[in-house]
Amino acid sequence: MASIRKSGGVVAFHWQGKLLDPQDQAFADALATRRFRTIEHAASEEISCGWVTAVDPTGNSFDLEDLDGGAGTWLRFRMDKKKLPTKWLQIHRDAAEKERGKRLSARERRELKDDLADKLLPRVLPTIQLVDALLFHDKKLVLLFATSTGAREAFTKLFFETFTVPLDRADPLQRGRLLGLGADAERALEQAEPVRWPDSTRADGARRPAPRTSAATTDDAEADA
Amino acid sequence: MKPNTPNPATERIETHGFLGEEFLTWLWYQWEQHGGEFTFAGGRVVGVALDDFLIFAAPSDEETEQTLRRGLPTRTAEARTALRQGRRLKKARLLIAEGSRQWTATLDAASLTLAGVKLPEDAEECESDIDRTTDRAANWLALDEILQALYGRFLGERLAPDYKATKAAAQAKWMAS
Repeated sequence: MASIRKSGGVVAFHWQGKLLDPQDQAFADALATRRFRTIEHAASEEISCGWVTAVDPTGNSFDLEDLDGGAGTWLRFRMDKKKLPTKWLQIHRDAAEKERGKRLSARERRELKDDLADKLLPRVLPTIQLVDALLFHDKKLVLLFATSTGAREAFTKLFFETFTVPLDRADPLQRGRLLGLGADAERALEQAEPVRWPDSTRADGARRPAPRTSAATTDDAEADA
Repeated sequence: MKPNTPNPATERIETHGFLGEEFLTWLWYQWEQHGGEFTFAGGRVVGVALDDFLIFAAPSDEETEQTLRRGLPTRTAEARTALRQGRRLKKARLLIAEGSRQWTATLDAASLTLAGVKLPEDAEECESDIDRTTDRAANWLALDEILQALYGRFLGERLAPDYKATKAAAQAKWMAS
């Protein structure tokens, strides 16, 4: 078994409510119910996503000791994608159009694609993505070692399907809520507006509108310089 | 998820992402004006500094983001000008240290996501894969705890009723300097 990664991107999630104890066999059994299933021989374009372990990338075994991540529980999911190679499709389309001496109609193109899919997809190997996460049960925290939207959405969906517990991304509002700030501060957090820092490079001392993120603009609170 | 289904996390980043950007700008201010050293509960002392990569958020849809990389971007005239214009940081590469451990990471402020993280070197006593996994898991957790503690310190100031008259005024003075 290799070691967990020591570099890369990470997204934190929290959950509320009760989650199975990773020390119990029931936790491993829950992973097994949503284990990865191969699409190696599939004859259609497909995506398969499911749990595996760091020891067994097939998804056939879930021993508790294989989930040992020190202070955390080491989760790994596998996402395979099978797709018709577009360059093959283009080559066959070009050949068919050359033979005909004119462009194929939309219906003919669709038929050609279906025909090629039947012939080629059983021979196409899926791409494989393995994504790790560390779950800290006592802190109700999961660190996902992938930042892409696709991996994040696949992971949160798989986690919910497995444990029926939704994950909340630890963004500025969510992290603030977890701090136990007290009722007044929490209300202030919910209602916070961007600070409008003064633009001291402008002779009139005007203040820039303060965007809520890097896009839209609002105005309201001001820093009294 | 269907394309048109509202995503609560995305909506929250749109409505409160500015707090992450204010937090990152505040970290710069704390580093430059107060040395970037923070003491947390239990005597935990953490040092934070900005490294060699900064992106300033666009002040409006019509204006551009500004990226500065390599060397010491916080010392450049471009960075000072951006601060004087009242711009917030959108992303920055951070150096975070606690005792002998040091992390580097790029913080995406609006989502508080960390990219390009480098953990401290594995402890010398790590002899096996499971030793290394245990050590690294502890370091990943510590990094998240430090981020949460720093953000908590920021929000403690930011959400105080007298924030604008005190802390924000002092930061505005630094930004204009």
